[in-house]
Amino acid sequence: MNKKEKSIMKLAAAFALTFGFVPSAYAMHIMEGYLPVGYCIAWGAVCVPFLIAGFCSIQKTLQENRKAITVLAMSGAFVFVLSSLKIPSVTGSCSHMTGTGLGAILFGPSAVGILGVIVLIFQAVLLAHGGLTTLGANTFSMAIAGPFVSFGIYKLCKMLKVNKMASVFLAAALGDLFTYCVTSFQLALAYPSEVGGVGASVVKFLGVFAPTQLPLAVIEGILTTVIVMTLETYALPELKAIGFTKEVK
Amino acid sequence: MKGINPGLKAAVAIAAILLCIGTGDVLISVTVFLSMGAVTVLLGGLSIKKYLDLLKIPVAFLILGTAAIVVGISPVPAGHFYVPLPGFYLYLSEGGAALSAHLVLKAMASVSAMYMLVLSTPASEIINLLGKLHLPKLISELMNLIYRFIFVMMDVQSSMKQAAESRLGYHNFLTSCRSFGGIGANLFIVSLKKAGTYYDAMIARCYQGELVFLEENKPVKAKEAVVAAGYIAVLLLLWLV
Repeated sequence: MNKKEKSIMKLAAAFALTFGFVPSAYAMHIMEGYLPVGYCIAWGAVCVPFLIAGFCSIQKTLQENRKAITVLAMSGAFVFVLSSLKIPSVTGSCSHMTGTGLGAILFGPSAVGILGVIVLIFQAVLLAHGGLTTLGANTFSMAIAGPFVSFGIYKLCKMLKVNKMASVFLAAALGDLFTYCVTSFQLALAYPSEVGGVGASVVKFLGVFAPTQLPLAVIEGILTTVIVMTLETYALPELKAIGFTKEVK
Repeated sequence: MKGINPGLKAAVAIAAILLCIGTGDVLISVTVFLSMGAVTVLLGGLSIKKYLDLLKIPVAFLILGTAAIVVGISPVPAGHFYVPLPGFYLYLSEGGAALSAHLVLKAMASVSAMYMLVLSTPASEIINLLGKLHLPKLISELMNLIYRFIFVMMDVQSSMKQAAESRLGYHNFLTSCRSFGGIGANLFIVSLKKAGTYYDAMIARCYQGELVFLEENKPVKAKEAVVAAGYIAVLLLLWLV
């Protein structure tokens, strides 16, 4: 290897390192135009039953208590703001949490489905993260799959009488991880590799996103736990009002 | 741009995006990318620098996603060029480079078409448009409220963050986590309080389960409709030729 080759190698390594760390959690929103039309429609169709269920559950809540509309809207805005905040991170890159894990624990997965779609539309329209054609795929990974897993783990931990903070941590971190796995799977389905097909492609996409997503899942877990801890200390009446502590006790 | 009927803008943007990803034609993607950029900058009056900054946002995803398509892994040597690693081989996939070049073009063209719509249309008009497409009233109402509340909460959050920063709340990683969590929780408490106040304010203004917003009437002008139809026709022509 001569001197010139060495310097090129160094440059390439520096390039790889820089870009390896820059991408943020937003990277898990599949961008506008990245999926073929068939997949856009198919993922959208998969979401429909969940969204209808969410819509019915919200409508029922509102019929019983009209006042819940502003609470719901505030919760949606809360998830949006939370997901748009830069969070502390070890690599010095700019990362964000999904916030849907917390939402699922506080409000239940079906309501988060509807709020999640609205938040995703605003993220696409206001922040250019995600897109309108990939809304279906993003909705499935972020607003349906992730929250359902979070909620399931949270309930399971409660049944097994795991420490509450540990269960909140597990629910948020694993929900985040699951979102990342589903997104990788969606990308792999659309772009299978020529040797090994979808399976090999899933491994590729998982591998590419892993360096940013694994630490992020842990951080999301820690932050969600801190938020729930603070809420329990200072906001018991509010938590009771949305039915959080009641169901825990 | 602001005076143009939002429905027309949305129709053109969506048609352009669908043509881009539906046909996968390179020429269409390039045309859409350049023309939508030109419309946003020249007609919309956005500075080129700001527009380029906006285009940079999705680049992170593009780099990672494309890398995964160009490079393949396999347990046996494959492709023209491969690097052996313990347990498997990393290879450049056949046609992967061409596929990802197409994909990058398609994606950037779609993004520029979406920007043409969202950079020239207020959110309330987009929500109204969805309402006209028979989105349930409940959802469009929620969207309108959420949109308003986002700014209220951003405001609260930025003052909380300033307060925390001025007290060294972000000087190392652990403190940052604590401050972030505290701000998140406080934000939630404040938002619930505000939700109550907002509801009272709405009731005081005769809210009976329906929010009505003032809507500006922007009829479609014949000239604009012709230009829009012509644009889509040109794209279609490019595809057929």
